[in-house]
Amino acid sequence: MDSAASRPAVVIDNGTGYTKMGFAGNVEPCFIAPTVVAVNESFLNQNRSSTKGNWLAQHSAGVMADLDFFIGDEAIARSRNSSTYNLSYPIVHGQVDNWDAMERFWQQCIFNYLRCDPEDHYFLLTESPLTAPESREYTGEIMFETFNVPGLYIAVQPVLALAAGYTTSKCEMTGVVVDVGDGATHVVPVADGYVIGSSIKSIPIAGKDVTLFVQQLMRERGEHVPPEDSFEVARKVKEMYCYTSSDIVKEFNKHDKEPGKYIKHWRGIKPKTGAPYSCDVGYERFLGPEIFFNPEIYSSDFATPLPAVIDKCIQSAPIDTRRALYKNIVLSGGSTMFKDFHRRLQRDVKKIVDARVLASDSRLDGEVKSQPVEVNVVSHPIQRYAVWFGGSVLASTPEFFAACHTKAEYEEYGASICRTNPVFKGMY
Amino acid sequence: MILLQSPSRFLLQTLLNRVQNLEKGVELDYQWVEFDDVRYHVQVSMKYPQFLLLSVSLPTPAQEAVFSGGLPFGAIEAIKASYGVLVQILDPPKDGFNLTLKLNLSKLPPDEEYKHALLVKIASVREVVLGAPLRVVLKHLASRTVAPDINRPFALVHRPKESFFLVPQAEKVTVVFPMRFKDSIDTVLATSFLQEFVEARRTAGLNNAPPCLWSPSPPLELRGTAGEALSANAGFVTFVIFPRHVEGKKLDRTVWSLSTFRAYVSYHVKCSEGFMHTRMRRRVESLIQALDRAKPDLEKSKKTVQGRSFKRLSLKEAHTNSNSQRWS
Ligand SMILES: Nc1ncnc2c1ncn2[C@@H]1O[C@H](COP(=O)(O)OP(=O)(O)O)[C@@H](O)[C@H]1O
Ligand SMILES: [Mg+2]
Repeated sequence: MDSAASRPAVVIDNGTGYTKMGFAGNVEPCFIAPTVVAVNESFLNQNRSSTKGNWLAQHSAGVMADLDFFIGDEAIARSRNSSTYNLSYPIVHGQVDNWDAMERFWQQCIFNYLRCDPEDHYFLLTESPLTAPESREYTGEIMFETFNVPGLYIAVQPVLALAAGYTTSKCEMTGVVVDVGDGATHVVPVADGYVIGSSIKSIPIAGKDVTLFVQQLMRERGEHVPPEDSFEVARKVKEMYCYTSSDIVKEFNKHDKEPGKYIKHWRGIKPKTGAPYSCDVGYERFLGPEIFFNPEIYSSDFATPLPAVIDKCIQSAPIDTRRALYKNIVLSGGSTMFKDFHRRLQRDVKKIVDARVLASDSRLDGEVKSQPVEVNVVSHPIQRYAVWFGGSVLASTPEFFAACHTKAEYEEYGASICRTNPVFKGMY
Repeated sequence: MILLQSPSRFLLQTLLNRVQNLEKGVELDYQWVEFDDVRYHVQVSMKYPQFLLLSVSLPTPAQEAVFSGGLPFGAIEAIKASYGVLVQILDPPKDGFNLTLKLNLSKLPPDEEYKHALLVKIASVREVVLGAPLRVVLKHLASRTVAPDINRPFALVHRPKESFFLVPQAEKVTVVFPMRFKDSIDTVLATSFLQEFVEARRTAGLNNAPPCLWSPSPPLELRGTAGEALSANAGFVTFVIFPRHVEGKKLDRTVWSLSTFRAYVSYHVKCSEGFMHTRMRRRVESLIQALDRAKPDLEKSKKTVQGRSFKRLSLKEAHTNSNSQRWS
């Protein structure tokens, strides 16, 4: 086997909101960076307007435009401090939307963040379960032609999230993955490592909506947060202080009885003047995550609670897989990190299931007693980047290198080899 | 980004995180690889949170570039000079690595700025170690002398089994890079990149930069070097470094730029390929638009939701489409 297989594979999980990147074999990604690119557009315009200008100036303006861009947190900082940089988000709702931005983003991930030579490593990238084969071909084209990677595997995110359980217990490749990211929420049933495509359910509510809701609640209460900072503050408040309650009414009472215990304070510095400010964090602590369980408090378009969506998803899967699916509901993604999120989810799904069993039992007049259905929502500490971790585990097995599409195959058959991905056979 | 930075971004981030909550015990075990096959391993144990073990493995040197004690010439001295009491060099290093440093983070200076500068220096360990022999030679150049007991040409490792060469003299040091690329397209792009690079050096603004040359065959300076070191599919680049290029603070920059020159070229070749793809995608898009405009109105009504009207047709679809047109 080539020398690249002796080095750890590069694992990049490009999410709508955040990209997790690192090397296989580690327990954590090296970097978690917002999936965003800041491009300097001023060069481009110059380039176009000066048709007759001298050749060299035009040429170097072009070169500069090509190199003058930033990704991740640096991109956000640049665009905030100057108007020459415009932000572009390469991924929208889990799908690559802008390939130029995506290619630039990868370029910086590889050369500026991981600082590796792409020719030296196999690559594992991830995609949403709804990605079209054409998009996979594009990815293959960029990876093989621009970066000359020796081998590439494009894995389906929820399958990796299941594989993340590989080291924690014996690996169960049947389960429902509830992936709640920044811009998309998917409920994906997997049986023996294969995604049951027809039963995938998507929800238009994810982490960004919780942030927006927290921002709105704080604004309505009149907290003095500088407007240009309020989204970022809301995001941080959400990540630090939000939790899942078991019952909103009780939670309101608790807050009202002992405000000192429940109200938190946020301290910040105004970006323009540098003056310090502070604000209170109150009900939004539990109301934020509540939008997954009572979406009507946030959105008028979508009203099905997440537990009901999970139940529908499992009910639409083949009947012989359902028990196994209820037994292994796996959480993945940053927005499942709220305290007690898994407890609430487990309780609510169980309620729906028990009600159904009761109804069918009474229909049958107690003649046949159905077996109780076990509902299990699995939560583990690496949940925030379960997809990346699953990739890291998978890409450090020897089978991985054999399952990759290689550069030689690409040159022989073209990008169409990326349309299908072999599932790791015999691994689980 | 135009130039590669010298500190490892991940190592720096790890160090900064560690220093921020030094008392808190954590278990860390990270391994990663950078360009030119420089590998890192960082370990911190729960029990001794103020210590951090940093192991580094370097590219395997080619025959002509000799390591002494598993490290390039002058590396031990360079480490001691850069890090002082902060590090202890473990002998032998961890299995599979050329060097293991035990960092005592509690010995960092309290001054924030100085502390940060030191951490950046630790994160730049590859420059300190791999660049050590080059630094010795260039320091002599700064004082217009020649380092004693070194071969001429002096081979330095910069990639696995690949060297670049120095010809030190009192007034100047000639640096020669044999340029090799695996991929045939890369080779072509790199060759033209290098020719343009040399051309650009001639423009007025760069009069003070080191003179540089590109040639398809080995330059005279490499006479007497083994044949294998002289095969290069993208030619040879020669820089001439004068004392003015290594004065004072310039030394560090010059050492880094020279020891990563091959990586720099390779990065820009990849960028060019990326930009060519961008251009090609734009061109295809504009051609598609032109095609769309040329289509009869009937087709226009088929616009998709996103407002894009083009769809790659499969053979079968194309067939039925043309049939329906014939009948309408
Ligand atoms: N500790 C946390 N608690 C709550 N939300 C979090 C936490 N950490 C991250 N998030 C949120 O998770 C989302 C990112 O999740 P991620 O799975 O990385 O998304 P994606 O893969 O869609 O980019 C963001 O909205 C972020 O604010
Ligand atoms: Mg994700």
